[in-house]
Amino acid sequence: MKTFHHFITALFISFFSLVTSCNNEVNTTGGLAPLQPTNLDENAGTWAPVYVSSYTKYAGVVPAPTDTSSIAYKTELASIKNLQSTITQGQKDAINYWSDGGVLRWNEIFRELVARYNLAPAPLSNNTYPGPDPNNPFGDPQFPFANPPYAARAFSYVSVAIYDALKAAWYYKYKYNRPSPYLVNKGIKSLMPQINIPSYPSEEAVMSGAAQTILQAMFPGAGDEILTKAGQQRAAALQSGRASSSDISVGLALGKAVAQDFLTRAGADGMSTAVGTPTQWQALGDSAKLHWSHLLNPVPAIDVIPWVSLDLPSRPPMLPFFGAKTSPGLGVMGWMMSTSDFINVRPGPPPVATSDSMKSQLAETKYYSEHLTNSREETVLKWADGLGTFTPPGHWNQIAEGYIRDAHFSEVRAARAFALLNMALHDAGIGCWECKYYYYNPRPTQLDPSVKTGTGIPNFPSYASGHSTFSAAAATVLSYLFPSNADYFNGQAQEAALSRLYAGIHYRIDCEVGLVHGQKIGGYTTNFAKNDGAN
Amino acid sequence: MKKIILGIFIAVVSCFGLTAQTPMITDGMMMPKKVLGNGIFYGVDSWKNYWEGTLKRDNQNIGTLTTRSVTWMGTYGVTDKLTLITLLPYVWTKASSGTLHGMAGIQDFTLTLKYRFLTKKIGQSDLHFFSLGSITLPASNYTPDFLPLSIGLGSKNLSYRFTSTYSLKGAWRFTASGAYTWRSNIFLDRPSYYANGQLYNTNEVQMFGLFDFIVRAGYHGPNWHAELFYTQQNTLGGSDIRRQDMPFASNKMNFSKVGLSTLWSVPYVKNLAARIWGSYTVAGRNVGQSTTAMAGLMYMIPFSKTQP
Repeated sequence: MKTFHHFITALFISFFSLVTSCNNEVNTTGGLAPLQPTNLDENAGTWAPVYVSSYTKYAGVVPAPTDTSSIAYKTELASIKNLQSTITQGQKDAINYWSDGGVLRWNEIFRELVARYNLAPAPLSNNTYPGPDPNNPFGDPQFPFANPPYAARAFSYVSVAIYDALKAAWYYKYKYNRPSPYLVNKGIKSLMPQINIPSYPSEEAVMSGAAQTILQAMFPGAGDEILTKAGQQRAAALQSGRASSSDISVGLALGKAVAQDFLTRAGADGMSTAVGTPTQWQALGDSAKLHWSHLLNPVPAIDVIPWVSLDLPSRPPMLPFFGAKTSPGLGVMGWMMSTSDFINVRPGPPPVATSDSMKSQLAETKYYSEHLTNSREETVLKWADGLGTFTPPGHWNQIAEGYIRDAHFSEVRAARAFALLNMALHDAGIGCWECKYYYYNPRPTQLDPSVKTGTGIPNFPSYASGHSTFSAAAATVLSYLFPSNADYFNGQAQEAALSRLYAGIHYRIDCEVGLVHGQKIGGYTTNFAKNDGAN
Repeated sequence: MKKIILGIFIAVVSCFGLTAQTPMITDGMMMPKKVLGNGIFYGVDSWKNYWEGTLKRDNQNIGTLTTRSVTWMGTYGVTDKLTLITLLPYVWTKASSGTLHGMAGIQDFTLTLKYRFLTKKIGQSDLHFFSLGSITLPASNYTPDFLPLSIGLGSKNLSYRFTSTYSLKGAWRFTASGAYTWRSNIFLDRPSYYANGQLYNTNEVQMFGLFDFIVRAGYHGPNWHAELFYTQQNTLGGSDIRRQDMPFASNKMNFSKVGLSTLWSVPYVKNLAARIWGSYTVAGRNVGQSTTAMAGLMYMIPFSKTQP
């Protein structure tokens, strides 16, 4: 009996030591590594701007630097030496963090901001919803509601602003050719990877200035945190010996100046009226009937079933006027597509709700809803990207991140990749939202309430699928950038599209049409990329 | 045989697969040596209100969330001092409103060893001390990423529990029990998620440990017993559900419940006992304010000829 007692005691002790030896902290770094570009892209200052009129327009912000033999510059170097002699572990950690590539890091940061702000307003006790208020970002609801169109637009503004700002920086870097401090004075250590590009203006400062300016405007509630990150990036450039304080102050001014031009565009791009008003929401069903009757002449009005919100309580439609500028005073500007481009590639109508064709579409969705196998459920959850996540555009940025990291792109070429991707995603958002509200087609569950969904039902019309449109546009751009992986990207887009059918929130036709639409939209961006001087 | 009957129990499967309220695991009873118990229990757990962080609310897109379960429980008295307990529940969920799909499946398998390592007689009273070790493993590949409709949280758990029971004249019993549960990380089907105020660019989710305690007090008659209990569970980490967000597996799920558990030996049927048990959530955080009711039967098979 004594032996047995000891055995049981030993069992409990070994059990406990097993438990306490398990450390289950999760690594959050995202697998980035110190950036050592394989190509410096010295000629990036000649690549086509996306939006700014020219890089020389910022000449006033980037005056000729003082000579490296000047007293003023030597004073700057002395202060770097001083900083390096008292560097803390926290500062070293920040240097390592930003060494992995500022463009990749900022992409990670704005994916996080989107995930944090992608929450819909909660209903009030009277069953209405308060609107997010940019003047009260910390309220309930918080501002913004970073839903997929909002996210696509925000991703695109910050990515394109960083890209144009970095090309401007490259222009001045190779115009003035001022080396990094660690190259001028051997007493200064290089604490970041040594990349032999001129340091005036500092690329870290340029992107920090561009990113903080755009992100503060798009996510005002996170302003302090964004400024802290941006300041940390500049401090890392300085303390690491990569840039002097004048490299940095001029870089910051350049980044801000470029971003300010983008904010001017953003203020007038149509987003401010994209939410719409109760009167405009009321009119959406009637305008859809009008569109249908023109297209399918004659479609009896009774055959057109306008979309209704399935949220409880009923919620106003998500950004009904995010679509192309097809009606006066409404709609959002694209990056690579004009209003007529959007109209030209707009998909034709889906089958009318009462048709046999639509009944068979509905029957298929219902089948998947009732047969959510484990493997289909995994696909649904992989691509759900719903509320509280970084949205499908964020998902494609995460996919791109790995390829951009592994390609060892220079900062400016990494910025190009993200800018192209996010312009296509933004244009996909516009094209898709225009299509959705043009036809205003109901979700499967609206036509048959017994269709239960494997993910939250999105609060906007069904045709065509946003996931499909976003994913095909993204896959088109990524396939252009990384052609040997095209099959993978297109396969992922297909999977993303089908996940919505499996989840019971779309008809197959929504997914198939969305994929084609997204591919066409992505083509406008790749056409730009083919001729931008970066190849 | 009465002694055997009084040594049985009922499983309680909460909506998140926690065994903290399972009487056999948290009370001061043992199986007699070489007696095998087999039981089937049916349970219903439902809530309309829940705590989004500390904010109590309802959600019309859920309505009332009901979790039903059928649990097989096996027990065996290895010796008079060592009892083995196993649980295997089948669970299904349903939301009364909104469009979300219910989920169903075999949830988690639990194996517990309960060891009574010390007994002290103090006059007419007895004092017993127990050590318990449990391991819980998901028994199917259900997803933990569809809360509140997921049938469980998907972690592998190891738990250590210490229990003491004071029995006055064999009739009044007072039990206190506390446990720490270590939970393994879980893996989602998606490559990123937001939790603890940050974005994680991985599918791996850290599941924080749990601490729970329960106090029970009741009367044990010759053919029945009844105990009132209060239990509390705290998650030692994790974040709140954000405003109007869905719950997430690693949320800080805390609750306090009060309940009553009763047991009868079924008349005219030898070695059969029935149990009805219920609880009500009086406070919580990131959990539903659930009302739980369970009922079931347990049949005892003695294998030893020396048993009465």
